Amino acid sequence: MISSTYIAGRGFIYHTDARAKLLLVLLLCIEVFLPVSTIGMYLISLLCIALAWYAAGFRQAISPLKTILPLIIIMILFTPFTYTDSTPLIVVKGITLATTEGLFHLNLLIARFTAITYLTTLFVWSTSMSDIMLTFRFYGLPYKGALVITLAFRFIPFIADSFHMIRDAFSLRVPNETTRSRKSRIFDILPTISCVLVFALKSIPNLAMSLEHRGLGRRQKRSTYHTIHAKGSLFTHLFICVMIATLFYLVFSY
Amino acid sequence: MSQKSNNRPALKIALIAVLTAITVVFTLIVRVPTPIKGYISLCDVVITFSAYLFGPYTAMIAGGLGTGLADIIGGYAQWAPFSFIIHGLQGLLIGLIAKKGASTGYSIDSSILRMILGGIVGMAVMAGGYYLVGGMFYGFEPALVEIPLNLMQSGVGVVLGIAVSKSVSKAYPAVRELSW
Repeated sequence: MISSTYIAGRGFIYHTDARAKLLLVLLLCIEVFLPVSTIGMYLISLLCIALAWYAAGFRQAISPLKTILPLIIIMILFTPFTYTDSTPLIVVKGITLATTEGLFHLNLLIARFTAITYLTTLFVWSTSMSDIMLTFRFYGLPYKGALVITLAFRFIPFIADSFHMIRDAFSLRVPNETTRSRKSRIFDILPTISCVLVFALKSIPNLAMSLEHRGLGRRQKRSTYHTIHAKGSLFTHLFICVMIATLFYLVFSY
Repeated sequence: MSQKSNNRPALKIALIAVLTAITVVFTLIVRVPTPIKGYISLCDVVITFSAYLFGPYTAMIAGGLGTGLADIIGGYAQWAPFSFIIHGLQGLLIGLIAKKGASTGYSIDSSILRMILGGIVGMAVMAGGYYLVGGMFYGFEPALVEIPLNLMQSGVGVVLGIAVSKSVSKAYPAVRELSW
């Protein structure tokens, strides 16, 4: 199981400090909920697609669109119906299918959702998991919280492999097909889940012991997290990112 | 493992880390196919299981962190902060309701009715939370579509969560000592 979202690529987004990038993503995500033109929101999405295309290729760049496509279809199907008071645009046999207000809201929702999706996706693609962790530390994630997440990442492949092995072992014993109902199919997975859980839970005492051996719980910590290093000073990166967010708002707000 | 995790911070950290990893795996890998939704993830099973066996606070942190990390890894980073809050709250409430009715202090010893009540509250929090966030992201009318699907996923989570927590506590009784 791949537990990293980082995609190796090129471009300035890979050289920008992760702390500044996260701030920019948060600011822009907030700004798309303010009265901002949809052109600005689509521009964010297009810019993100262009950056991802340059960094990792076209297929990779459009993959977030594929994941949000079902939601966009649901938006197209449901949103126009709910705004029937304004000027009708499409009327079939006396039933108003779309109004100007409905299409305005549909456009706004699609633009906003696409922009947020691309902003967050581009951040996790261009930042390694270790840098994301150190960024969270910089913004106040406690030492123990960061430790929990790093340990979780250490255990994800182990538990995933255990699950596959246990499931394969259970699949050797096929249940009686004639007596199987839909309900029993859901409960078929119960023994596998229980085994995986017991197997994983049994590793907790050993993990706790090894953490104590390495000094966890002592007053003097044996280790600390290192800080992120990027090209240029952090202030410059933060300043540029805040300026981008400010300019975006000034240009596209109404 | 005779010492309770309250006295050993390392045990507490190890427990939450392993449960977080289990939540991620059950969200991303363990999927049960269904005719309506395509598949349902079993993250709610782990959250419910954690709440019944390890208490509300473990379920809150492990459930929130696990689903948040799964969203980031799975390519749905925009949902991560909301999953963290919604599933964290879901685990907290399930655990608190179950623990309140337990005479021994362990949520797993609570009556089955109270466990189901906790599960129903958890289902409402999960479906309601995602409805609100979905409404904010892509409109409240399209977000209505997801309510029955989320209710179904969390409902399966509650049923399997109760069954799994009972079976695991029998198969591995020492697990009770990890509750806090």
